[in-house]
Amino acid sequence: MNVNHNTEKDRLNFWEKLYLPEIARGLGLTLRQMFKKPMTRQYPEERWEPTGSYRGRPVLVLEEDGERCVACSLCSRVCPALAIEVQAAETTKEKERYPVKFEINMLRCIYCGFCEEVCPEEAIVMSKDYELIFTNQEDAILGKDKLLIPIAQLQDRLEFLRRFK
Amino acid sequence: MSPLLTDILILLAKVFLIVNGLLMAAAYLVYFERKISAWAHNRIGPNRVGPLGLFQSFADVFKLYLKEDIIPTLADKKLHFIAPIISIGVAMAVYAVIPFGDSFMVGGKEVFMSVAPGVNIGLLFVFAMSSVGVYGITLAGWSSNNKYSLLGGLRSAAQMISYELSMGLSIIGVLMIAGSLDLTQIVHAQAGGKWNIFLQPLAFIIFLVASFAETNRTPFDLPEAEPELVGGYHTEYSGMKFGLFFLAEYANMVTASAMMVLLFLGGWEMPGLYEALALPAGSPLVALVQFGVFAAKLVPILFFFIWVRWSLPRFRYDQLMNLGWKVMLPLALANIVITGIVMTLLKHYGIM
Amino acid sequence: MPQITIDGQRIETSAGKTIIEAALDNGIDIPHFCWHPGLSVSGNCRMCLVNTGFPRKSADGSLERDENGGNVINWGPKLAIACATPVADGMVIDTQGQRTEHAQNAIMEFLLINHPLDCPICDEAGECKLQEYAFLHSKGQSRYNEKKNHKDKRVELGPNVMFDGERCISCSRCIRFADEVAKQPVLTFVQRGDHVTIETFPGTTFDSPYSMNVNDICPVGALTSMDFRFASRVWEMSFTDSICPGCSRGCNIKVGVRNNEILRLEPRTNMHVNEYWMCDNARLTQYKFVNENRISSPMIRKGNTLVSASWQEATSQAADLLKKFKPSEIMVVGSARATNEDNYLLAKFAHNTIKTNNIDFLRHIDNSFSDNSLRTNDRTPNAHGAVEVGVKHEQPSGVSMSNLAERIKQRSIKALYVMDGDIAANSSLTDALDDLDCLIVHATNHNSTTERAHVVLASTTYAELEGTFTNLNKRVQYVQPAVATQDHERIEGMQMSRWDKFGAPNDRWARGERRNCRQNWEIVQDIANMLGAGWHYTNSENVFKDISNHVSAFSGMSYDLLQEFQGLTLGKAGSPEPKGVVYQSNYMKPN
Ligand code: SF4
Ligand code: SF4
Ligand code: SF4
Ligand code: SF4
Ligand code: FES
Repeated sequence: MNVNHNTEKDRLNFWEKLYLPEIARGLGLTLRQMFKKPMTRQYPEERWEPTGSYRGRPVLVLEEDGERCVACSLCSRVCPALAIEVQAAETTKEKERYPVKFEINMLRCIYCGFCEEVCPEEAIVMSKDYELIFTNQEDAILGKDKLLIPIAQLQDRLEFLRRFK
Repeated sequence: MSPLLTDILILLAKVFLIVNGLLMAAAYLVYFERKISAWAHNRIGPNRVGPLGLFQSFADVFKLYLKEDIIPTLADKKLHFIAPIISIGVAMAVYAVIPFGDSFMVGGKEVFMSVAPGVNIGLLFVFAMSSVGVYGITLAGWSSNNKYSLLGGLRSAAQMISYELSMGLSIIGVLMIAGSLDLTQIVHAQAGGKWNIFLQPLAFIIFLVASFAETNRTPFDLPEAEPELVGGYHTEYSGMKFGLFFLAEYANMVTASAMMVLLFLGGWEMPGLYEALALPAGSPLVALVQFGVFAAKLVPILFFFIWVRWSLPRFRYDQLMNLGWKVMLPLALANIVITGIVMTLLKHYGIM
Repeated sequence: MPQITIDGQRIETSAGKTIIEAALDNGIDIPHFCWHPGLSVSGNCRMCLVNTGFPRKSADGSLERDENGGNVINWGPKLAIACATPVADGMVIDTQGQRTEHAQNAIMEFLLINHPLDCPICDEAGECKLQEYAFLHSKGQSRYNEKKNHKDKRVELGPNVMFDGERCISCSRCIRFADEVAKQPVLTFVQRGDHVTIETFPGTTFDSPYSMNVNDICPVGALTSMDFRFASRVWEMSFTDSICPGCSRGCNIKVGVRNNEILRLEPRTNMHVNEYWMCDNARLTQYKFVNENRISSPMIRKGNTLVSASWQEATSQAADLLKKFKPSEIMVVGSARATNEDNYLLAKFAHNTIKTNNIDFLRHIDNSFSDNSLRTNDRTPNAHGAVEVGVKHEQPSGVSMSNLAERIKQRSIKALYVMDGDIAANSSLTDALDDLDCLIVHATNHNSTTERAHVVLASTTYAELEGTFTNLNKRVQYVQPAVATQDHERIEGMQMSRWDKFGAPNDRWARGERRNCRQNWEIVQDIANMLGAGWHYTNSENVFKDISNHVSAFSGMSYDLLQEFQGLTLGKAGSPEPKGVVYQSNYMKPN
């Protein structure tokens, strides 16, 4: 006969089966916690400055002569949440392709960082921005105006990528 | 003023005090529930509304009032409406017989520290009323026409019946000692430090555990069990109707704690205190002190309720039933038998 | 019949075939760049090198066996190119062994020496043979440290063809296409060695009406379409098999759709119709009218203006109008742009419901369009089918398109029911239409006929319907929806692009316009039923079944068979031509 010898009855010893001593231990644990210093902070007043490894909202790198992105759409392809929409167009610059439209739907984005990982131009990187507040669905779709961030502000992340990617 | 009018006025004043006092108590219980949980989690807890967040509960109630009251299309509308009223109504009605102290004299008139004094079946009334409370929850689960609500309602019914039994049996020892169902009598029987917690420790533990189950508090909050049942019987409730269930839960918690104080912790009795103060008997001051003593005993129990909630996980349903029927019930019966034997022996040898 | 063995698989093939052809016939793909089944063999890319040999024979003529009982093979001293080596009886070919693989790696390394590898910018990425083979047949490493060559980029070889010299791998497919298929031999290699590049002969430009096919066959991103350049990544589009409605040839095409909008058309192999090609005109025009200037809902005339109405309003209005006239006062005009199904029900509607003999359709003949390649002078896809299913005017008393204007002037025709066709654009009819008491039109786009109409019924274009067209060689071919309407989804299911599959209605890319248009036969059925016809066709296939049961030329046909054989010839459904091998240049491209 197939007898299971790992039932609750077999696993627990007498005191455990009584519950009470274990309950007392548990209560003791929480009681001790009550006198410790809180770990949380008073958010809007005390802010947290993330380090380079933090994956906040994805942004596009803006250099002096415009965006790095060449609208290859690889980020859009790899994005597991289908958050990115890119529309390419032609320019007369040496890199003949650029995004006329680049939109990230922040309601879809799951901050996985795949877009950053796949980008052949290091044009999309995860920023430190974690404060995303929208009052309607349309606002949550960020266009190039909100996505392009000067490269100077992204140094921490770029340095992190250089070292660990 | 005719004596009748005076009586009615006094009665109304008492009702007013109790109802409001109870609501305030419930509001602050919620506040402390949140604070204590925060401490247990190394958090800060509500601290934005008023100093130290003391007005948080009022903000919550205000919010609940403003929220849309949703009635599911397929719900049984009447029952859906009545269920929370039953819950809160019953939770409050219980306080009619709960005494907070002895009577005192004002202007030659005896004023009792309870709404309905001298009810000689006070204890039975409390039990009867809290059984009716099940209806509120079960009807809420049934009328919502939602499978989670229904499961919550059914669980609640089964759980209440199972634990009411052990609860009722556990206090028989106490009644045997006091020889009365009147709560004031029971308190008086414990005068001079003869608290039932010392005489009936097993009964106390059974009563304590059963109270947790009766009030649907963790570790016995299976009727609402958020992870499995969304919100159990109140899944389909919103706005102030939900608020009523919420208040009822805390009111029940206060009831259960008050019952523990009255039955096991000697109520407002405190050996030596009154003698030391030497206040004139029957003065309102005495009543005040008695109420203070009562409250002082109540608060730690309430804290215990909250503390347990943030320490223990929920029981599994089979564990719940095993505990109720296979452990608590036999123990409660054994307690009666032992109490009976001991009392007979004591009588026989003339010690009592 | 020579018997050969490829990778251990014994294959019977016919004499004169090259190894690559024999392999392709049997579903084995040998990597290649310069070979194309529709062009002559040039053998210059060397990607198709394979190891060939013959079983060794002993002195007595019997085959030698190795210890496992297999044949002992005398492998050739050098590898052979599969595209130019004819098969011989007994030949053994190894396309995957170490020697072949080594050769493939070496060729890929060579080709990539000067290749810019700017795939992120390149429009070909995703359907590039070089990418595919770099992925499948290359080590993925280069030992070349020197500076890469730079060549001209963005050279316009013709009005529709853009050339990027750096990406060219000098396969000469484009040159051979210009010479052999387009018959406009203006392209050539200039320079030598790693400086070789493509140019047009001085004073000429590559403007053949078939020039854009080179964009398809160029295995890399060296030649791109100026019309499409950068419009979309290939994997973002859903490709639906369809038939080009531009002329009566009925070229098999694929319709590339993103966000419910057609972005490009490309040819689909059908050896019995268009082989591998299609004309530039269709590529440039046959998607625009689907995307632009559409009638997106039914309309009825209120005073001097047309206002949108519900289908119920519009069709009952049309039915009410028709009831006011005697059958002989009504003329029904079919359409050679509509499907067989549409025309069949329209004819049934005219003959059985309205009970008139006045039925005909307008031909669109443009002799300047025809050539002796694919393009024909009939600019409609289904003139044959329309006649075959009953839209014809040889009735004794019937009015035809030729005497219609005259009859309207005589007031013997007072009401016109036009299915999909801008008849007002026909100069002989323009004025006459103003004299009508009632003009009901099915229309896809706003035009001069809809301006005059009393009821406009929004109908689907070829890209939004399911049905069949009959081409000039009487081949019936199947069309399915590539663009979704409010009533109909596409039917490709899981073949669709990731965006079309998983997009939610609130995603911007999924919010392309869905028009409130219906297939012609659906509209006709609604009106006919209001006039008491009592039809119950639920989908196009129902109607087609009815056709194959009642019209003898169609007997034995079904949508399944039409798809299986890439079309069937009228009257010969029982003996279909074999489909043959469908050559797909980019097999890693999504669908
Ligand atoms: S992967 Fe990089 S370069 Fe390509 S579209 Fe995205 S951001 Fe632009
Ligand atoms: S972080 Fe992930 S989910 Fe967000 S846009 Fe990038 S790939 Fe998409
Ligand atoms: S031709 Fe192919 S390999 Fe070359 S850049 Fe374009 S996509 Fe990449
Ligand atoms: S342009 Fe394209 S088709 Fe022409 S030779 Fe170069 S790679 Fe081949
Ligand atoms: S395909 Fe054979 S040499 Fe190019």
